[in-house]
Amino acid sequence: MTDLAPRSRGVIGLLEENCTLCMLCARECPDWCIYIESHKEALPAPESGRPQVRNVLDRFAIDFSLCMYCGICIEACPYDALFWSGEFAYSETSIAGLTHEKDRLREWMWTVPPPPAHDAGAPLPREARAAGPGAGPG
Amino acid sequence: MTAAEIMAEAAQSLPAARCAAEGTTVTMDVPPEDWLAALSFARDVAGCDFFDWLTAVDEQDEGFAVLVHLYSIEDRQHLLVRTLIPRDNPVLPTASGIFRGAGWPERETHEMFGVVFDGHPGLAPLLLPEGFEGHPLRKDFALAARAAQEWPGAREPGERRAAERSRRRLVPPGVPDGWPPP
Repeated sequence: MTDLAPRSRGVIGLLEENCTLCMLCARECPDWCIYIESHKEALPAPESGRPQVRNVLDRFAIDFSLCMYCGICIEACPYDALFWSGEFAYSETSIAGLTHEKDRLREWMWTVPPPPAHDAGAPLPREARAAGPGAGPG
Repeated sequence: MTAAEIMAEAAQSLPAARCAAEGTTVTMDVPPEDWLAALSFARDVAGCDFFDWLTAVDEQDEGFAVLVHLYSIEDRQHLLVRTLIPRDNPVLPTASGIFRGAGWPERETHEMFGVVFDGHPGLAPLLLPEGFEGHPLRKDFALAARAAQEWPGAREPGERRAAERSRRRLVPPGVPDGWPPP
């Protein structure tokens, strides 16, 4: 994978831990190829107050037989849960195999390259500035 | 010929054409009556003898724009010839007598947009299956796959199925009101 440009578009990885099931990627997808299913789960109430309800992911799948690799889902995700991987060799003998479910999408995360370094002399990212001295690259 | 020379020559021989140059590309808008004259001009006078492609754009109420992209390999000069034909009578003389390679793109434009190329030797469908009805690249053509499939974005987070009594009616981005047509 060393010869690929850092922003190569191969396959899309899902960092499931970051996904909040907000549905934004599925709604923005022009190809309608992102399928998200979820259900609500009530956590037992703390000593007082109401039980907390949270959304739990049941299914997250991308159908790469429909995907046109526009990257809009990655741009739309407000929680950094979707990433480009450079991996492109995932051909299948059956079209159904091109629908990657969440476990497979999570596995692709191990192939996501680190983001390219900032330009020399570029200001520190806002997050790094907010974190104070010692944070951020270099 | 350079862009400036093409513009000067076009002003002489095609007075109805409107030309604009940007970089190495000249864009020439001609009335449909001048379509073949403009293509002959492009090939013989401007030297843009490489036929790249021909297609159409559905401009809805304005009609159909038909475009040809030509290139001069010698001068590295691009020429885009455009015309606008009415929606209720989308007919244009065939360019296949000037550029033989235009035959197939015209067949494709015919099946996709319903533009008729008068004098074409065989305007049979090129890509669509036999018996296909309609012109799928027209903007009023409803894609069957979109009507048959449920929009994945219609669900709300944490809901098992598409929200029927959603607070706001969710519509896929880019889809006009009242679509798909009933």
